[in-house]
Amino acid sequence: MQAVFTREFKSYFQNTTGFIFMGFFLLLSGIFFTLINLLNRSPQYNAVLGNITFIFLLVVPILTMRLLSEEKRQKTDTLLLTNPVSITGVVLGKYFAALAVFLLTMLITVVYPIMLSSVGIITVSEIIGGYIGVILLGASFIAVGLFVSSLTDNQVIAAVVTFAVLLFLWFLDPVQQIVPAEQVAGIVFLAIVAVGIALFVYFTIRNIPIAAATLLVGAGIIVLLYFVKDEFYDGLIIKFLQWFSLVTRYEEFNRGLVSISPIVYYLSFSATFIFLTIRVIEKRRWR
Amino acid sequence: MIEVRNLTKRFGQHVAVEALNFTVNQGEILGFLGPNGAGKTTTMNIITGYLSATEGDVTVDGLDVLDEPLEVKKRIGYLPEFPPLYLDMTVDEFMSFVCNIKRVDGKGKKESIDRILDVVKIVDVRRRLIKNLSKGYKQRVGLAQALVGNPPVLILDEPTIGLDPKQIIEMRNLIRELGREHTVVLSSHILPEVTAICERVIIIHKGHIVAGDTIENLSRKLRGSARLSVRVAGPLESILKTIRALPEVKKADDLGVREPETVDVYVEAKREADIRKPVFEAMSRAGYPILQMRSVDLTLEEIFLQLTTDEAVERRVS
Repeated sequence: MQAVFTREFKSYFQNTTGFIFMGFFLLLSGIFFTLINLLNRSPQYNAVLGNITFIFLLVVPILTMRLLSEEKRQKTDTLLLTNPVSITGVVLGKYFAALAVFLLTMLITVVYPIMLSSVGIITVSEIIGGYIGVILLGASFIAVGLFVSSLTDNQVIAAVVTFAVLLFLWFLDPVQQIVPAEQVAGIVFLAIVAVGIALFVYFTIRNIPIAAATLLVGAGIIVLLYFVKDEFYDGLIIKFLQWFSLVTRYEEFNRGLVSISPIVYYLSFSATFIFLTIRVIEKRRWR
Repeated sequence: MIEVRNLTKRFGQHVAVEALNFTVNQGEILGFLGPNGAGKTTTMNIITGYLSATEGDVTVDGLDVLDEPLEVKKRIGYLPEFPPLYLDMTVDEFMSFVCNIKRVDGKGKKESIDRILDVVKIVDVRRRLIKNLSKGYKQRVGLAQALVGNPPVLILDEPTIGLDPKQIIEMRNLIRELGREHTVVLSSHILPEVTAICERVIIIHKGHIVAGDTIENLSRKLRGSARLSVRVAGPLESILKTIRALPEVKKADDLGVREPETVDVYVEAKREADIRKPVFEAMSRAGYPILQMRSVDLTLEEIFLQLTTDEAVERRVS
């Protein structure tokens, strides 16, 4: 893992991706800092941090697009997969390398609040909370990017898809306010999920009876739930979308509130995507 | 050293290799021969653990590739068809990275890199970026990578592809040298190469092994009395008819007139039958004197073509 980490980290600065990421990130965050804090004479640094999370959408794909797609395209994955290193080690090494570049960049942005502290009063605890939130959010986005990059051997596709997924995660919050909350909507939604799962089963194993059985079980559960506990369907779609809402959880940190449950959420979100990435690479052997 | 049993790999509906069985003995140089798309790379990828088999097992040094992948990978140095090189690293950096992932640790690392670079003769480019190297050098860096950690087994997929003739000769000599200390499996679709380096060949075609033996035995099997070139004094039509009438003969063809008043005829026997006597007796009975009779030797090239044409495959399978 260590060897992969070191190589990956160095390569960020050997082929300019690291510099592009840092430059772009620092430029945009500098603009936000100037506009929000300096020109407005405001000591509210967390407003800048809130905007920095938006920059993630644009720059995280730059950071992660190469990670696994390039290995596949250059066929260097043979080197890693035919040597005594575990796939988990390879994936973690790459993840931490991207994370390290990201943390390094975040470290540089610490000069902004230090500058502010010399001309005004800042709430240190609030800023620390904000940073913890931003870093956890960034780490989760990087895990998503890593996963997407394992699915393709084309960097551009990896970048565009990562951007699309992150944008989707970003828009989950505003969408929650417009989705219907009635029971019927919940039932329809669950039915669509059941059909989706059945189709997935069909396309993975190409067996109609088993896929049909899955669909029937799904339908049975939906009906049963309706009779046993129909309040389950109230606002089901909203509840479902909230599971994936990375950004809502971040708001808490930005107010300076550091609590365990969102931290656990972010860490398990990242862990899930890292795990999925490992599975994708392992599965490649079994094509 | 390597044992492959009943190995089958399917990609969806496509069968890449089917029911392969072979062993590679310790210290042997085995050539893996076959036309493009025969399944050589797939087999090698499975032995090295890059792909998993659909059915069958592979053991290296008695260890199963699936059960103890890390132990097996420690024992194998692999040069894939496309050398896996990080183009943005220098040769030294790359070698050091490979040492790290192969757990060749701190102390012996530098000496071991120096030794390997010396063996594959790339010391003079060690500080250059791999992307700026020529194809021949890249191939050698790929081989250097496989040698790290001194693995007992070397698997080389088309090691001489893309090299110029001088480099090919150098690479062959190098492989032959490596074969003294390592068990080597190399694949190729170039026959002279295999003849030059390997002690034993396995010919693979459309995912099946069609022959596997030492080069000597392989050509012996298919030559001798099995194929003859016969010069007979007499009329062509009648000679061909007489010979074709023999039960042991598979086919007889006109080779043209090389000497006045005679014809040269090519006779092929049904598998392994000695047809020299029957041909002689038949000709003598018909009153056409045989002036010359010699067996047609098969070069490896001919064996290869013979085995990898579809007719031959069908014959072996049936």
